[in-house]
Amino acid sequence: MSEFILEVKGLTKAFGGLVALNNVDLAIRPGELAAVIGPNGAGKTTLFNIVAGVYAPTRGKVVFGGRTLSPRIPPARRVRLGIARTFQHVYLFDDMTALENVEVGRHTRSRTGFVDAGFRLPNALREEDDIRLEAIHFLNLVEQGRQGELMASGIPLGQQKLVAIGRALATEPKLLLLDEPGAGLNAMEKKGLSDLIKRIRDMGVTVILVEHDMELVMGTAEWVIVLDCGEKIAEGTPYQVQHDQKVIAAYLGEDTELP
Amino acid sequence: MLKRPRFKWTHLAAAIGLAILVSLPWVLSGLNPHYLTICIMVGIFTLVTVGLCLLMGYTGQVSLGQAAFFGVGAYTSAILSKTYGLPPWGAMAIAAIGTGLFAYVIGWPILRLRGNYLAMATLALGVIMFIVFREADEYTYGTDGITGIPNLSIAGFAFNTDFRYFFLVWFFCIAVLLISQNVVNSRTGRALRAIRDNEAAAESMGVNALQLKAKVFALGAVYASLAGSLLVHYWGAVGPNMFDVSASIEVITMAVVGGLASVWGAIFGAGAVTYLNDVLVDVGSYNIIAWGLILMVVMIFLPKGLWVHLREGVSRWQRRRKEKTGI
Repeated sequence: MSEFILEVKGLTKAFGGLVALNNVDLAIRPGELAAVIGPNGAGKTTLFNIVAGVYAPTRGKVVFGGRTLSPRIPPARRVRLGIARTFQHVYLFDDMTALENVEVGRHTRSRTGFVDAGFRLPNALREEDDIRLEAIHFLNLVEQGRQGELMASGIPLGQQKLVAIGRALATEPKLLLLDEPGAGLNAMEKKGLSDLIKRIRDMGVTVILVEHDMELVMGTAEWVIVLDCGEKIAEGTPYQVQHDQKVIAAYLGEDTELP
Repeated sequence: MLKRPRFKWTHLAAAIGLAILVSLPWVLSGLNPHYLTICIMVGIFTLVTVGLCLLMGYTGQVSLGQAAFFGVGAYTSAILSKTYGLPPWGAMAIAAIGTGLFAYVIGWPILRLRGNYLAMATLALGVIMFIVFREADEYTYGTDGITGIPNLSIAGFAFNTDFRYFFLVWFFCIAVLLISQNVVNSRTGRALRAIRDNEAAAESMGVNALQLKAKVFALGAVYASLAGSLLVHYWGAVGPNMFDVSASIEVITMAVVGGLASVWGAIFGAGAVTYLNDVLVDVGSYNIIAWGLILMVVMIFLPKGLWVHLREGVSRWQRRRKEKTGI
């Protein structure tokens, strides 16, 4: 077991001629709450997609919990290993209730199939009850217990995002990747989100978030990685990053005062 | 255990529906025996339709080739029982298992495709299988078809009249509908719906989408195969024209008319389409026009299908009633 839960080594991803990520290294310790920031097109979401198994890297490797993940391991199997994610565009299952959405998150932690369900065998019924109770637990964890019976598409965006986090937590991840969890939220919701993310970390889940909102990142993350045009230009504590000349120049523009 | 609701209107409706169904053979054989034949055909097509509903309505995957599996089941049953003299039940079981495996294997490459491409691939499968049924004369006797296929029987009790066959077909039908409903309301069913709503998100929740799609494709094929076997042991004959592309389209029509994302709607879809086909025979060559018009009207006014609209209507009525009585 290595001292890092996630290591990314020499990661390069090219889409045709466009190099989205160029030779990026990063290492995250278990229990860390890290953020990846950078302007649009910096390669943040590409990084997530490679770690989650959606894209295969052009070069370089991803090591999770000391084990090198072959690019052939698909997203579904990475979930079983302990990597969960949310999406920038939320991607809830619209025609299902909030609770059902979280129940889908229990998929890898349950096992009954067509035959058990079709004939209502005792193990399937028992498992259904377990899934229901566990899903309620995870929905309560993100404080959306009261939304359980509502169709996902009918819930306001801010709460949809929390349900999506609950759904990801329901997979019992070791590593949680949050893709722009703050986008589209108001100030109060962002404060709640920040608290929630810290609570998730305190539960022992390593969290990496990709985020545009500086206040949210600086007030939440303990370790910040800055990408620009596919390259890592800095990393450190929020304080260090905020005062890094390269970051100020590349990301925030010259001579900009930080909040 | 979590508490499960005790009394439901659906239980009452199910009891009434079952009572009507069971009394049908007596009523119809007195009224007009022809309608008993139609009811048997409705049952057979319901089996094919519900498989397609699971695939299209719940998993979001198109199949324009469902008649292929219907045909594989029918011919396998016919050839094994007539040509090779196997007992009909054995032939039926082998047909179902064989068709399921066939669909599962075909499903892996085909179901990687999406949308229109999947539609084209399944359409091609339907066309290919139709040609196989017609041209493999050594086994299928080409356009002449196979005749003299033995009846199904249990311990000397032969299902050789419409009256008896009705119960056999609808026994299979209700069993398959119940099994399908249980699947839909389970971990697996949720995963299927997750694939329909957003495949990328479903995979990020640990759902192996391709494998599950192949499995539900195979399940639908098994249903279609059972229907095909029931058809040939009923008619005693089989020919290729029952399994052409237009048969696949007809099954899709049934699924859509009944309600794609519903299990019990399959009965209504199969019923409406089979009945219309029968009635419109009298209209002669204009029947295709009448057909098209009726379909258009249904799609404009009842886009979710007969069953779903009926269910929604009933629950609206219940809500109004609740508000009125203040409970």
